[in-house]
Amino acid sequence: MKFRRRRGVPQLQLDEMETALLGSLLDDLLDALGTLPENDPVRQRLFPDGYRDDEEAAAEFRELTETGLRDDKAARAERCRAELPAGSGELPLPPDAAERWLTVLNDLRLALGTRLGVTEDEPADIDPADPRAQSWVVYYWLTTLQDGLVQTAMR
Amino acid sequence: MPETVTPQREELREQESDELASTDRPWVTVVWNDPINLMSYVTHVFMTVFGYPKPKAEKLMLDVHHRGRAVVSSGTRERMELDVTTLHGYGLWATTQHDS
Repeated sequence: MKFRRRRGVPQLQLDEMETALLGSLLDDLLDALGTLPENDPVRQRLFPDGYRDDEEAAAEFRELTETGLRDDKAARAERCRAELPAGSGELPLPPDAAERWLTVLNDLRLALGTRLGVTEDEPADIDPADPRAQSWVVYYWLTTLQDGLVQTAMR
Repeated sequence: MPETVTPQREELREQESDELASTDRPWVTVVWNDPINLMSYVTHVFMTVFGYPKPKAEKLMLDVHHRGRAVVSSGTRERMELDVTTLHGYGLWATTQHDS
């Protein structure tokens, strides 16, 4: 993963493994958006309550907004999926694409981070014996990617 | 929700605040701290969604981070529900409530 600029437009260089990984993560997200049950923590994190101490208002708000939010998230993820180069390649990131990727990467991190139970106290090292070690590596890779993109987008 | 929100809301807000200056602005949008959203991303979202200049966006982000929450906008209930929906689109943990 590497950012560079070509004629002023940021480009994200990805190798074959990285595009494959992003592709499968996007597939998982699209699947999750369509299938997760209401009480699933990932669904609750992607679609949080709009009211904190008013269950009735929260339910009404959810009724009004969740379908639209889900459709937006799915449409963005699908567009990103379609833009991924096959194999290694460069992903051009003009402002609208950068904004879309930024948001989608955030959804991927929210989904994975919620499953992993990320807390404020990040582990200093990943325990290789942890069966979720691979997921932690992916999570931190997504974090680096998103932070790199936000630095690029905010310049 | 549009893919990108051009930062013109600040101007609109100033007009709104003039109109509402003589009345209560009883609803606020609150963003809560969470361990996943990056500080750089949250700052970017505040700048993009509300058109806040970077220093203001960073201050709000730091309030969220250190105090656990920050009021990021205020206005009518309908307006706040729209802000909350937009922030949920960006993956921030936002709620609306009566200003206290």
